Amino acid sequence: MTTDKSILSRFYIIATALVIVFIALGYKLFDIQIVEGQKYKDLAQETVYRNFSIEPNRGNLYDTNMNLLATSVPKYDIRFDAITVSESNFQKHASALASELSKLLGHTKNYHLQKLKRAREVKNRYLLIAKQLDYSEYVAIREFPLFNLGPYKGGFIAEQSTVREHPLGKIGERTVGFGNVGLEGAFDDYLRGKEGQRLKQKIAKGQWKPISDVNEVEPEDGYDVISTIDVNIQDVAHHALLRQLEHFEADHGSVVVMETKTGEIKAISNLGRIKGSDKYYEKLNYAVYEPHEPGSTFKLMSMAAALEDKVIDTSTVFNTENGVAQFYDRKVYDSKRGGYGKISAAEAFQVSSNTAFSKMIYDNYKDNPERFVNRLYNMGLNKKIGLKIKGEGQPTIPHPDDSNWYGTTLPWMSFGYGVTLTSLQTLTFYNAIANNGLKVKPKFIKQVRDKHSLIESYSEPIIEGSICSKETALKLRSMMESVVEKGTGSNIRHDNFKMAGKTGTCQTEYWIESGRYVSSFVGYFPADEPKYSCIVVIHKPNPKIGYYGSTVAAPVFEKIAQKIYIDTPIKDEISEKVIQEADLANSAYENYYEVSQKYKTVMPDLTGYPAMDAVSILENLGLKVTLVGDGEIVKQSIKSGAKISNNQHVNLISS
Amino acid sequence: MPKTLLQIDWLTILIITVLIGFGWVNIYSTTFISLEENIFDLSKIYGKQLMWIILGLVISSVILAMDSKFFKRFANVIYIFALLSLIGLFLFGKTIAGQTAWYSFGAFSIQPAEFVKTAVALALAKYISEMDNDLSRFTSQLKGFAIIGIPLALIMLQPDAGSAVIYLAFMIPLYREGLPHFYISFGFLAAAIFILTLKFGFSIFAPVFVAVFVIIYLFNRKKKPKLWRYALTLIFALGFSYSVNFILNSVLLPHQKDRFDVLIGETNDIKGSAFNLYQSEVAIGSGGWSGKGWLKGSQTQGRFVPEQHTDYIFSTVGEEWGFMGTSIVILLFSMLILRLFHLAERQKSQFSRVYGYSVLSVIFVHFFVNIAMVIGLFPTVGIPLPFFSYGGSGLWGFLILVLIFLKLDAKRKSLD
Repeated sequence: MTTDKSILSRFYIIATALVIVFIALGYKLFDIQIVEGQKYKDLAQETVYRNFSIEPNRGNLYDTNMNLLATSVPKYDIRFDAITVSESNFQKHASALASELSKLLGHTKNYHLQKLKRAREVKNRYLLIAKQLDYSEYVAIREFPLFNLGPYKGGFIAEQSTVREHPLGKIGERTVGFGNVGLEGAFDDYLRGKEGQRLKQKIAKGQWKPISDVNEVEPEDGYDVISTIDVNIQDVAHHALLRQLEHFEADHGSVVVMETKTGEIKAISNLGRIKGSDKYYEKLNYAVYEPHEPGSTFKLMSMAAALEDKVIDTSTVFNTENGVAQFYDRKVYDSKRGGYGKISAAEAFQVSSNTAFSKMIYDNYKDNPERFVNRLYNMGLNKKIGLKIKGEGQPTIPHPDDSNWYGTTLPWMSFGYGVTLTSLQTLTFYNAIANNGLKVKPKFIKQVRDKHSLIESYSEPIIEGSICSKETALKLRSMMESVVEKGTGSNIRHDNFKMAGKTGTCQTEYWIESGRYVSSFVGYFPADEPKYSCIVVIHKPNPKIGYYGSTVAAPVFEKIAQKIYIDTPIKDEISEKVIQEADLANSAYENYYEVSQKYKTVMPDLTGYPAMDAVSILENLGLKVTLVGDGEIVKQSIKSGAKISNNQHVNLISS
Repeated sequence: MPKTLLQIDWLTILIITVLIGFGWVNIYSTTFISLEENIFDLSKIYGKQLMWIILGLVISSVILAMDSKFFKRFANVIYIFALLSLIGLFLFGKTIAGQTAWYSFGAFSIQPAEFVKTAVALALAKYISEMDNDLSRFTSQLKGFAIIGIPLALIMLQPDAGSAVIYLAFMIPLYREGLPHFYISFGFLAAAIFILTLKFGFSIFAPVFVAVFVIIYLFNRKKKPKLWRYALTLIFALGFSYSVNFILNSVLLPHQKDRFDVLIGETNDIKGSAFNLYQSEVAIGSGGWSGKGWLKGSQTQGRFVPEQHTDYIFSTVGEEWGFMGTSIVILLFSMLILRLFHLAERQKSQFSRVYGYSVLSVIFVHFFVNIAMVIGLFPTVGIPLPFFSYGGSGLWGFLILVLIFLKLDAKRKSLD
């Protein structure tokens, strides 16, 4: 049947078919590797690797005495790559590893062993072993059998994250804040550091494994910030303000305490009410960002301008008549009905007479309002202070050239309407008067440093010249003293301790409804040798309970002044062993941390612990604590080592 | 003995050696974890493969030492033994991934189907060489098909449709020995109809096909073609095309249907049925001209491509060695197959020639189907790349297959 020719043709057909196939395969390979190579390269890149940002270690935040306010603690998540381990290694070490894991993490040895085996069966390359281990646990687990063979042979994967902790517990926790709030937010630029990057490889759906042991871009740790905040003063200020806000059901309020000579802010607390509740928390930095009409506290600025321009003297007499003064179509009222009769300028300040002040300024400046305004401008009242922290509000002092300048603008300005200042700006002015006219710039930061060196230091006070003559300042100081001695602030007067200041009660949002007030008190203490200046501003107290600056705001001032006065030694001994103190703070913190981590379900022995630390530890364990005293713990109602349960009650007695 | 050694075709041996060596290098890349590990570590894939290679050397030596007459004389015995080994699977076999295709000995498994190919090739060669060379007779054809069909059916039952495809390779030696053109044309026609219908659907395929068919008939009218042949072909074509959907939905298993859908681009579910092909294409495509370098392929080292050390080993070559690497592999296989082609044609005995054709055909189909699958020219079929993919049975199977032929070739002058 088949001829030689036929056979030969079959041979050629087969050979041709083979060659065609070889060429077809080669062509297709050329197509995907060369022609479309870039597309596949991009796809490979995209599906396999991704850069993950690594959070830098946030810097520590210290108070002025190097008490640690906030610190970052590294935490480790441990995972296990069940595939990379060789069979012999797995057989040899899995059991020992399970037994070590059960000691560290609880559960039975068998539980862990089964977990490891199952992971190996299902080829899990990212088995979660433990979450949020601290450093010492991480070091321990790293040395466990199998894990000690490293990431490739032992399948050990550790991922670090940081957790922010507040070693001092509840003290100033709100002030210290989290994230963008509080001091953490204010100093964020320094504390934050720079993100690093780490290339990770996809190993399974939603699971990424670091390519190597080193980061592609190392994160830069944030700087440590040593703030001017004094934890003790902060604590007092915070609680005094909180109590007052709660009592007067106010909307929000702030308090700032500043060291007179240096401008260092020793305490700043801003509390706002949570909508629909009676709870307050550190919400916004009102003292820094919120300009508001100061009301009567602005009388100090008016008086300073008038005295400086020598248009009046403290003894100049004004007729308050029956407590009403008319300017154009509007009337100015004194808070006391019927007025004060004929009074001196000093007395007008003391009783805070609106009619006297409006006349004082209007009569003397009505022909040349620019002179008054320029005087205020010269005292720097129209400018921001220029703070290191973000979001300072812009003050406004109207100018006669402004389109909205009316005839009534000038008299109303005299007692603090139509102008706006932030609390901190007002305080800065008062502080300058307390300093006999020398304006000191407020500051929140003492030092910024990294681990090895000082980055920035603000040890010297920043003096920004005089806002008025010493003579004027002394006059103003004596007037402020008399406010507390026998004027509107006399309700906080003390026999053994002199304070000076000015009350303010100002209507706010009067365009919405009447009965909304801003109560404030600004001043300094001790009166004869000012050490601290302080402003208290409380917005929208419930007027049925009270709204005068003297009753709402002044008591906060009083409480702070008293507490500091009692706590401040006559001679301020500045410790030269700052570093030693820092170490002490650190070791105290380490103790605290160790105990808080070690005991999860049994009562720790807290004898000798500082009361606040002890409370913090126990509250973290879910206990309800009643504390007597505030020194070191001497007695605890639950014995150490006893099992504890959630919401159990415990009494602590401290020295 | 030394005389025989000299007569062995060392070029083929050399090509095979290079393929096995390069294969191992790539297997190592897909399975290594740390360079510090011992390459002889038998708990590792590459370690096992090294052992298969070394034992393969022993097996090769044994085959070369055997009397070449043995293979023809015992071809039928070997064939029966092979069938028994397949049947035995249903009794003693180990089921892996749904296929009962392995005999298990402790940590190691043997896949008899890899050796059955050799037995079929021997039996087929013996049958054709003894039946007076007449494949044009229908009964002869039927017996030839039976030799191929019985093991094929047993393998389909495992079920391992992929390995079954390989048995189509034996059509090539049959064709070479005189199987009528009809079978080959028929096969190609059926394949073309199947693919075209899949791609365009019956409603487009049918009218186009009829039009083309009529034009061809009209052009050939002067040669007085037999009308009934045209009519039968047309009826078959339309009927087959019409039943493609039925075959897809009712005959093929869902995962097999998916593989066709992936091939023709009907499905692009890169997280599901198209995952393997997608990962494989990304790996190969991203290799570019010269590749990313050994042990440096991101897809390979990320272990993205499933079954990369076995069926998808070629994607490692593509990624880490680039177009250079893949070209060299294609070239090596071309050289091997064409060399075997040349060797087969120079055989004086029909037995050796048919056997030689079977060898080259089996290797060729493996090579073509595997690489076409890895680069998306063929539906996913689980068959290894000869000498390259990981696996003891496969490696030994191919070594035995080729070395018997080389032994026959070495003795070609002394044989009948």
